[in-house]
Amino acid sequence: MKLTIRRGGGLAGMVTQTELDAQTLPKPAAQDFAGAVARAHLASQPAVQPTAPPARNWPDALLYDISLEETGPPVSVRYTDETLPENVRKLVAWVDGRPERVESIEP
Amino acid sequence: MSRVHGRAHCSIAPPDMLGRLAVDGTPKQREAAVRALATSAAIRSQRAVMGRLNRQLNLNIGQMVGFAVTPQRRLTIYDNKTNGRTFLPGVRARDWGQPPVEDAAVNQAYDGSSATYEFYRDVYKRNSLDGVGLELVSSVHYGVGFDNAFWDGSQMVYGDGSGRIFQIGGLTRSLDVIAHELTHGITELTAGLVYSKQSGALNESFSDVFGSLVKQYSLKQSAAEADWMIGEGILVPALGAALRSMMNPGTAYSGDRQPGHMDDYVDLPDNNDPRNDNGGVHINSGIPNHAFALAATALGGKSWEKAGKIWYKVLTTRLRPNSQFDEAAQATVDVAGSLFSSTEQDIVHNAWKEVGVRT
Ligand SMILES: [Zn+2]
Repeated sequence: MKLTIRRGGGLAGMVTQTELDAQTLPKPAAQDFAGAVARAHLASQPAVQPTAPPARNWPDALLYDISLEETGPPVSVRYTDETLPENVRKLVAWVDGRPERVESIEP
Repeated sequence: MSRVHGRAHCSIAPPDMLGRLAVDGTPKQREAAVRALATSAAIRSQRAVMGRLNRQLNLNIGQMVGFAVTPQRRLTIYDNKTNGRTFLPGVRARDWGQPPVEDAAVNQAYDGSSATYEFYRDVYKRNSLDGVGLELVSSVHYGVGFDNAFWDGSQMVYGDGSGRIFQIGGLTRSLDVIAHELTHGITELTAGLVYSKQSGALNESFSDVFGSLVKQYSLKQSAAEADWMIGEGILVPALGAALRSMMNPGTAYSGDRQPGHMDDYVDLPDNNDPRNDNGGVHINSGIPNHAFALAATALGGKSWEKAGKIWYKVLTTRLRPNSQFDEAAQATVDVAGSLFSSTEQDIVHNAWKEVGVRT
């Protein structure tokens, strides 16, 4: 299981990517990871996002693309700081706190 | 649907009902509802209710103007750290008129909001964002190591920074960032520039323009003395010196994609992909930013006196939600002529010409 969080927009307009592969985690952490992913219900979101722009009440909000690779085809969902559900926010914070994560800044 | 997800726990029925009356009721119902909202003993913070109403009813402050209660406070700072971390506004940390507290982020947000308020009042005779004294609300310590600051349609929100992109504590340390966020509020209440593609890049540019002007005003700098940087010293040093350079777009940090000329306009779709930045709003803002820096420098003196005055009048009276670069440029040329003379008009025209926008 691999989770890829891409963030863009925001005050800085910078694009970053954070990856976490469950295989790099010790067993208890891998279980926590699986639990946090399950609670985020990413798979229940539509796999293909509508291209219509959302209501924009929050200038400088971050844009999120969260992609989960398990056994089947990858599931990808998109949010903003305005629409990010609490359990997805918790998942993102959990991943951000893991030393095993791999971060990069995209040009 | 997802906009209230995770926030529903804080819902309280009576103010919501009053809120609906305040929005949909007859003028008399509206007035009564707003008065009740403001005086209810059950409501510790009218602002918290207003902010929540904005989210639950999908309102923005523009729709609340006209029946907003005259605030007793110019500004208030809230702390998100102690209250769920993403529940806005959080716990009140410093009220208007109170002395500094121990938390540096609270005091920085307080001082920066105050300086921005005074700039708009003293330079352009504007009483707060709506012109009639809207209380400026800020929440600090949003999220955990959150690498962003934004305007949520009714207040400013600041993260602490992770120390990997933004320096820890960097986001509230920068006066131009604070003024940038507050100016999003003015834009929302005036031109209403849609946050997408060119109109979004204009929205971003006006925030950078007045962000920079508030900084220049506080430092008493002339256009020639200004650094024309936004968010200097708040990124981690390895990434670069600042978020944006208005005079030399594309040079502020490694990976800065801002163009300074229409020839290099980055045409991105607005499709919610983080890589596309709402159609390049933080990217193509480099073009109007460059035009402003060139115009202000050529006009000479203090940037807020001529260039800023022209741009302020254009933002608040001449644009519409879907205005594009050429329309904004023409408006600045027209206003330069009506406020000053043909000399200033020519300078503004030439600044836009230099960045490839025809007027
Ligand atoms: Zn902005």
